[in-house]
Amino acid sequence: MAAVFCRFMASTSPLARDPSKLFFQADHVRRSIISAYWLIIILALPLWWHTTSIERLSLPTVRVTEQTRHGLRIPVSVGLERDPDVSISASQLQNSVDALVRKTPQRWEGLDIRILETRSEDVEHVEGLYTVVSGNEVAVRGRELEFPIRGGPTISGLADTLGALIAPLASTTEQDHRVAQYSPHYRLSFTLLNEDAAAGHFYTEWDVLDAISRHISPILSQLETLHDFTIESQVQFHAPLAFSPRQINDGFGITPEDLTVFVNSAEWTLSSSASNDPVLHFVVFVPSAARRPLHILDSNGDMTSSTSFLLPQWGGIVILNPQEWTVPSKLPSSDLDPVFSAFSNHLLSLLGVPRLPPGVKNAGHNHHALTDWQLDALLRYRAMSNAQGSKDTLKSIVNLVNQIENMPVGQDVRGDIQGALASLEQMLDVSKTSLTETFRLSARAVTLSSRAFFNPGMLALLYFPAEHKYAVYTPLFASAVIPLFVAALRELASWRRQRKERARQVHAASEKVEGSQSSAAT
Amino acid sequence: MRAGCIARLLLASVLWLSVAGTPLAEKFDEELTVRPLRDGKVASKFSFKTLLKGASPRDPRSIGADDVSQHYTVFPLALGQILREYAVTELHLSLNAGKWDYDRWGYPEEPGVGIGAELWAWMGDGAQLSIDDRWKGLRNALAGLFCASLGSLDEQRTTSPARSFEPEGDLPDWGIPHRIRHASLPSEHVCTENLTPFLKLLPCKSFSGIASLLNPHRLFDADWHGMSVHVLWREDEGVEIRLTFQSVSDPLRTSSGRKQDWSFRSLFDRTIDRTCPVAGSSRVEVTLPTYGAYSINPEPTSVEEGQARFHVANATKPLDLGLHLEGDFEYLAGFDSPITPFSAQRTLRGSSQAHGQLSLVLINHRNAPLHVVYLETMPWLVQFYLHTLQIHIDGSRRDDAMSDMMYIPAVPHSRPATFQCVLALPPGGTLHLTMDVAKSFLRYTEHPPDAQRGWDLPPAVLSLFDPSSNGSLEYPTNKRFYTPTLLVDLATPDFSMPYNVIIFTCSLIAFIFARKNEKKTLFMGNCTLTSGELHTAGTCPAQSTRLNRRGREWRRSPIVINCVYPVIINFACYLVGAIDHYSISLSLLRLCETTRRYERDISHPRGWI
Repeated sequence: MAAVFCRFMASTSPLARDPSKLFFQADHVRRSIISAYWLIIILALPLWWHTTSIERLSLPTVRVTEQTRHGLRIPVSVGLERDPDVSISASQLQNSVDALVRKTPQRWEGLDIRILETRSEDVEHVEGLYTVVSGNEVAVRGRELEFPIRGGPTISGLADTLGALIAPLASTTEQDHRVAQYSPHYRLSFTLLNEDAAAGHFYTEWDVLDAISRHISPILSQLETLHDFTIESQVQFHAPLAFSPRQINDGFGITPEDLTVFVNSAEWTLSSSASNDPVLHFVVFVPSAARRPLHILDSNGDMTSSTSFLLPQWGGIVILNPQEWTVPSKLPSSDLDPVFSAFSNHLLSLLGVPRLPPGVKNAGHNHHALTDWQLDALLRYRAMSNAQGSKDTLKSIVNLVNQIENMPVGQDVRGDIQGALASLEQMLDVSKTSLTETFRLSARAVTLSSRAFFNPGMLALLYFPAEHKYAVYTPLFASAVIPLFVAALRELASWRRQRKERARQVHAASEKVEGSQSSAAT
Repeated sequence: MRAGCIARLLLASVLWLSVAGTPLAEKFDEELTVRPLRDGKVASKFSFKTLLKGASPRDPRSIGADDVSQHYTVFPLALGQILREYAVTELHLSLNAGKWDYDRWGYPEEPGVGIGAELWAWMGDGAQLSIDDRWKGLRNALAGLFCASLGSLDEQRTTSPARSFEPEGDLPDWGIPHRIRHASLPSEHVCTENLTPFLKLLPCKSFSGIASLLNPHRLFDADWHGMSVHVLWREDEGVEIRLTFQSVSDPLRTSSGRKQDWSFRSLFDRTIDRTCPVAGSSRVEVTLPTYGAYSINPEPTSVEEGQARFHVANATKPLDLGLHLEGDFEYLAGFDSPITPFSAQRTLRGSSQAHGQLSLVLINHRNAPLHVVYLETMPWLVQFYLHTLQIHIDGSRRDDAMSDMMYIPAVPHSRPATFQCVLALPPGGTLHLTMDVAKSFLRYTEHPPDAQRGWDLPPAVLSLFDPSSNGSLEYPTNKRFYTPTLLVDLATPDFSMPYNVIIFTCSLIAFIFARKNEKKTLFMGNCTLTSGELHTAGTCPAQSTRLNRRGREWRRSPIVINCVYPVIINFACYLVGAIDHYSISLSLLRLCETTRRYERDISHPRGWI
C-alpha cells in the first residue's frame, strides 16, 4: 500500500520522479538518518542495562572462606594445687587429659586444655581459671573442684571428672536435638490446661507467680548473660486431646506413640502471635474427671511412674492427676512444687545446660544453683555452635548468591554479612582472654548472619525468570529492529557496491586514459 | 513539669509492680438476648464480657522496655499480648455481613453494624514508636489473630474521625494526648474462619455455656450476622474485653408454616448441654411478645418488664429454650414505618467511568428538629468536588442547613478523604445533599489481581447530636447509624489476555515505526542511486529487480520489509508464545524446584554445604 501510495505520489510530483533529487535521498543525509537510529540504540544500551539490572553487590567471599577455615579455639586452664603430699603433677594430669582428648576428639573439639600449677607465675593472669584442690569428697564450689587427690592412683579418675565437667556433651559443635536453637530472647509460656472443666473437678487458679519465683526465676537470673526471657501464663478450661487414651486396669494410659501427638495445636491456643521470639511451652495437663488417673505407658504397655515428658525444642508437659479435691478449686502449692521442679529440669534441658556428672556434689552456697563449671560449659557450647552456625549461614548465603543469578544483594545484606564477619574476627581475637565476650560476639555474628540470610529483599526478583522478560521484549524489539537491521545491511551493501563501481569507473577511466595515451603514443 | 512527669512515672511503676506482684482478679460473664422483630425476624445477641479488675492499659512510653509478665486466667492471652505490645487503650473491631435495616429493626444493641470489617482504636501518642507504626502492627496482628484481611486497612483507608467515634470507656491521664485511628474494609467477607479464632478467645470456647450455641452453619445462614470485639478501660473497674455476636434470623423462612416460633434448636441447631464452669453469670434474656397468646418453655427464672430471664447454671440440661406463639404471624399495621428518629439513603449516581454524583437523603421522622453529624471516610478512588455541594430541604435550596464542616482532602494513591459536617433537619423534613465526584484512574498495579465486581466504598456514619447539649434528648446520641456501602465501577483495562495485548500493541508500534522508517529510507536498498541510472519512481533498476517464475517483475517493496516482516515476526512470537506456554510452565516448574530448594535451605541452613 505504501508502495502504491509512493507511486501515486511519484506520478503527481515532478520532484519525486527522481528519488536521487529528494533531499533526504542524498547519500549522506540518508546514511546519517540510519546511523542516528543506531547511535541512539547504542547510547541507550547502557541506560537500559543500568535500569534493568538488579543490585547485586559483591560479597566478601574471600573473607568468608578464610573465616570458615579458622576454627574457634577456647583455652581452658586448670590450676592444680601443689601439695607436697600429693604425687600428681600437672604434667601427669595433662598427659592423662590429652589421652582422653585423643580418644574422643569430637567431644573436645575447639578446646585447649592446659593444666598448670597453682603456684606458677602465669596463673596470675589467667581469667576464669579452674582450680583443683585436695579434699575428702568430689564436690564443686565456684570454679573450684574438690577431689580426694591423696587417695592413691586417682589420676585417671581426676581426668575423667575434669572431662565430664569441662566437656559434658558428646560434641562441642553438634547440636543436641533437644536443645532449642539459640535466640537472644525467649518467651516462656506456662499453661494450666484443664482437659474438660465442664466435667467437674478442675482448677481455676494456680499460684503460678510464686512457683515461678521459687523454681524458674533463679535459673533465669543465672542465665541472663545468655538470654532474655519474657514470662506469661494462662489457664484454659477446655483442652481436648486429639486421640483417646487407652483404658488400662488402673485408669487410663498414653502410649509413647500418643505422646508424639499429645499437643493438640488445633484446639489449644498456646502460641503467641505478637512477636517472633521462640516460645518454650510448659504445660500442666489436668485430665478430665472422666479420664483419671492418666498415666504414661512404656513401649510394652506397662504403666510408668513418670508423669512428665519433654518435647524437643518445644517445651515440657506434666500430667497432673489431682489426688484429693478441695472446694476452692485452686491448684495447691504442694502439687505445684513437683510440677515446677519438673519444669525447671525441662527448661535446663531445652536451654542446653549440662548436668553435673554423677558423683559430683554441688558444695556452693545454694545447692540448686548452677555452678560456674556448668555455666562455662554452656557458654563454650553456645559460643562454639553459634560460631559454627554463623559460618555455615555465611557460606550458604555466598553459595546461594552464586547459584541464583537473579538474586539481588542489597547494601543491608552486605552490611549484615560484613558485621557478622567482623564479629567472628573479633571473636577469634578475644577468645583467648574472655569467655563471656567470645560468647557475646558469637551471638552477634549468628544474629547478623541469619538476618542477612532471611532478608526479604533477596527474594524480590527471584520470580521473574529470563524467559518471561524475553517473551515481553521480543514482540516489540525484534519487530522494530528488523527494519533497522535490514536497512543498515542494505545501506552497507549499496555503499560497497558504490565503492566498487567507483573503483571500476576509476579503473576504466584510467584505462581509458592509458588507452588514449597509448593511442596517442601510437 | 519534669517533676510531675517523674512523679507520674513513679506512680505508674508502683502501679505496675502492684499489677505484677499479685494476680489480677478476673471476671467472666456471658449473656444471650433474643428479641422478636416487627417483621417476623428474630434478633439474637451473644455477649461475652471479661473484666480484668484493676488493670490499666500500657503506657506507650514504656514500649521498648521490658513489659510486665502477663498472667491471665479467663482473659484471652492472645489478645492481651497484642494490646500490650502496641499499647492500645481502646479497641473496636467488627466484622459484619448483610445490611442492617434500621427502619424495620431499629438501632442494634451493638452499634458497629457497618458492612464488612471496621477497626478503630484509641492510642496514646508521644511514644518512641509512632502511633501509625503501632496502628500498622495492631492491624497486622489482629489480621493474623482473626484470619481477616485487616492488613489491607492501610494508610489508604485510615482516617481519624474523633467526633463520630468517641471512646466508650475512659482514657488514662498520662499527660500525653490520645488519638484515634479508624479504617473500614467493606469488601471483607465474614465466615467460619473468623468465628473459629473468635471462639478460641472465650474461656469455655464453644464446648460449654452459651457459646456452645454458636454454630457456624446456622449463624452464617442468618439474614444478618456480625461479630465484634471491644476492648476498653474504665477507671474504676479495669480493662474490659467484650466479644459479641449478633444475628438476625428468619423463622418464617425456615418454619413450615408462617409462625414466628423459635427455639435454640431451630435458631442454632444446638442446645446448651453444659454450664460454663468459670462464668460468673450466664444469662439468657428473652423479649416477650406484646400481643397474642404464647408459651415459653422452660419456665423463666424471672419476668420483668416484658423480659424473661433464665439462669443457665440453674436450668435443667440440655437447655432448649423456645417460644411458641399461638396462631400464624401477621404483619401488624405500620410494621414498615421507621423506628429510628431518621432514615438515610446514600447513592452514587451517574454511569460514566470518570464522573458521578454522591447523593444523601435524610428524612426526619420526628416532630422536633434533629442535628446529625455526617461523616464520610472516602478512599481516594472517589474524589469530592466540594464546590458542587448542594443541600435542598423539601425541594428548596438550603445551604445553611450545613454547619461545622471539616474536610481533609484525599491524596491520590495514599490518603482517603475525611468529610464531616453537621446537618440540621427540620421537623418531618427531607434533606437532599448532592456533591459531584470524580472517579480515579488507577495504576495498573493497583487493580486487584482477581476478577472483581467493582470497588466497595465504606459506609457513611451518621450520629445524632444535641447542639444545646442539655442532655434532654429522647433519642440516643451515642449511637451510630451506618448507611449501606456503595459500589463504584472504575475504568478497568482488559487484563484477560496480557500476552495477546502485548503482541498486538507491539505490532502496532512496530507498524507505525516502520512507516516512519520507510519514509525516511525510501527505496534506499532497492535502487542504486548512482546518477543517471534511476529514472522512474516506483520501479527499481536492474539490480533489485528480478523476474519471478511467471516472468513478471518481482519486487521487494519496502512495505514488505518494514511492515509485513514485523507482523510476521510478531505472529511467530504469538505462536511461540502459545508453545512457550508449555515451556513457561516447564520453567516455572524449574523455578519452583529452585524455590523449594531455597526454602529447604532456609529451614536447614547447613544443607548447602
